[in-house]
Amino acid sequence: MLNRRNILAAFAAAVLGFQGFTMTALPAAAQDVVNASLRLKWLTQAQFAGFYVALEKGYYKEEGINLTINPGGPNLLTENLVATGADTFGLSGGTDSVFAARDKGMPIVCIGVAHQVTPFVFVSHKDGPVQTVADFKGKKITTWFTGANHVLSAMLSKVGIDPKDADIQPQQVSVTPFVDKQVDVVTATRYNELYVINQRVGKDNLNLFVPEDSGVSFPRDTLIVSEQTAAEKPELVEKFLRASVKGWKDAFANEKEAIDIIMKIAPTLDRAQQEFMLSEVKTLMTAGKASTDGLFTIDKDAVGSANGLLAQYGVISKPVDLDAAFNPSFIDKIPAGERRL
Amino acid sequence: MSGSIAYAANLSVTPAGRIYAAVKPILWLAVGLLAVEVLVMAFEIRPYYLPRPSAIASGIMATPGAYLAGLWRTFLETALGFLAGSVFGVVMAVVFHRWLALKELFFPLFIVSQTIPVIAFGAVVVLWFGNTLFAKAVISFYISFLPVTVNTLLGFSSVDPRQVQLMRSFGARDGQILRRLYLPAALPQLFVALKLASSLALVGAIVGEWFGDTTGLGVLLLQAMYNENVVGIWATIVVSACLGMGLYSLVSFAERKIVFWGGEQ
Repeated sequence: MLNRRNILAAFAAAVLGFQGFTMTALPAAAQDVVNASLRLKWLTQAQFAGFYVALEKGYYKEEGINLTINPGGPNLLTENLVATGADTFGLSGGTDSVFAARDKGMPIVCIGVAHQVTPFVFVSHKDGPVQTVADFKGKKITTWFTGANHVLSAMLSKVGIDPKDADIQPQQVSVTPFVDKQVDVVTATRYNELYVINQRVGKDNLNLFVPEDSGVSFPRDTLIVSEQTAAEKPELVEKFLRASVKGWKDAFANEKEAIDIIMKIAPTLDRAQQEFMLSEVKTLMTAGKASTDGLFTIDKDAVGSANGLLAQYGVISKPVDLDAAFNPSFIDKIPAGERRL
Repeated sequence: MSGSIAYAANLSVTPAGRIYAAVKPILWLAVGLLAVEVLVMAFEIRPYYLPRPSAIASGIMATPGAYLAGLWRTFLETALGFLAGSVFGVVMAVVFHRWLALKELFFPLFIVSQTIPVIAFGAVVVLWFGNTLFAKAVISFYISFLPVTVNTLLGFSSVDPRQVQLMRSFGARDGQILRRLYLPAALPQLFVALKLASSLALVGAIVGEWFGDTTGLGVLLLQAMYNENVVGIWATIVVSACLGMGLYSLVSFAERKIVFWGGEQ
């Protein structure tokens, strides 16, 4: 599309060039708007509200970007789509998927981290057999085998439990087995599963085990671009980030309006759940280093700890070169004052 | 003479029969829903396992626009994929029938193509075609053409070689034999495949939508599934079932119109 437009513009410029040099300014102005796409890690929901707010309010247009937001889905790897150039930007799984992609040699770079702390927790019943992390031994635990399992292993190792001594099973979509007490410990993202569990079991009947309390951090929801885009169009990356930050600040300043925008796109969503999601996402996005440095800050310490963890468990063959995989130069161009809430 | 009378008598009966045939699945659905409603209330089944049909209906009525838009989008994808798959399926059957060497060369590839799980294939389609209606239609097409090819070939093989020889002896050309003899002979078999392909194409479109989109029944299904919105899951299942039945009835209707000599059903 871009190429065709360029060719057309070049053709128009050539034709106009014959007629008179004064006319050549026209196609140049038309060329200022660039087409780009953002691939999300999941379907439209409040987790991505800021991008939709920025789009709705025309912040990307103001920066000269004609942005299309493509929702993700299961079995879609955002890193793949960005690396091949099918999408310009991506909001990918997290530090785990960035490391895995870099480990496989995919030419992608992380330009910002959304969730500064681990967005998931481990949950048990208050009246059940699991009251502390030490109680995990020999119990039935379900988790996702996409990174969360390694956080769990690290948490268990810290209290001297061999992860093999716990019955760790892959977690299915539904949390019903946990609600029905067929499972002792379940993994839940703060913005999604935890809402359902709170609704069905009651907030006061639950124990939450936070990875950060065990000294493990796993930042997720990473913004990525291809190495090519980062090298050839740094100004596009900067403009995209500036518009996105603006959208997110608006979303957090006026949550009702942000939810309205999301519900307009996906009307079958549960409004109360989306409101909960946005307020939880706000906590995750403004936690840790983001509280001082602002949204999308890349906290090299937190990212480094995830790097070490994945290398230790053999998920990646060796620790990834952090400076090549995470490039904070684009987000740092926007002053912290503008990125703070 | 007696044959034409029977034909005329048959004609006068069919309109009422056709309306009944079209309404019948909806009628049975209504009866089934009523039974489920009563059973759920009688046995006090928890809504997480099976919500009452009336709750599902009110779920659809809460945001009818979303379901209608999803229905329309999925219908377009399915129809496009189904039509392309059917035409391609028939053309390939003709080609394979005419040039046996090509059949021996490529038919095994057709079989292999169907053993690739569509989930694996879907990611590639998104890379190639992006999040477009066309990408979903391609998955629909991919999943629906093989039964058409296989059944059309089966239909061709049922033709009596002596009929072919007879037509040839009258100087009929290959194209004429194909049009006048092989294709009509294969029609009953073809329609069996088309009915199968219409359901397969719908599955293909819904699975295709699982690779990221904003509208469509597959999107609604996925959204409801991961938000544990059980009413939403069932609402989408109901709407998908309506679409599936609609497509099936459409093909059946065409079958009765076109294959008027086919006695079955």
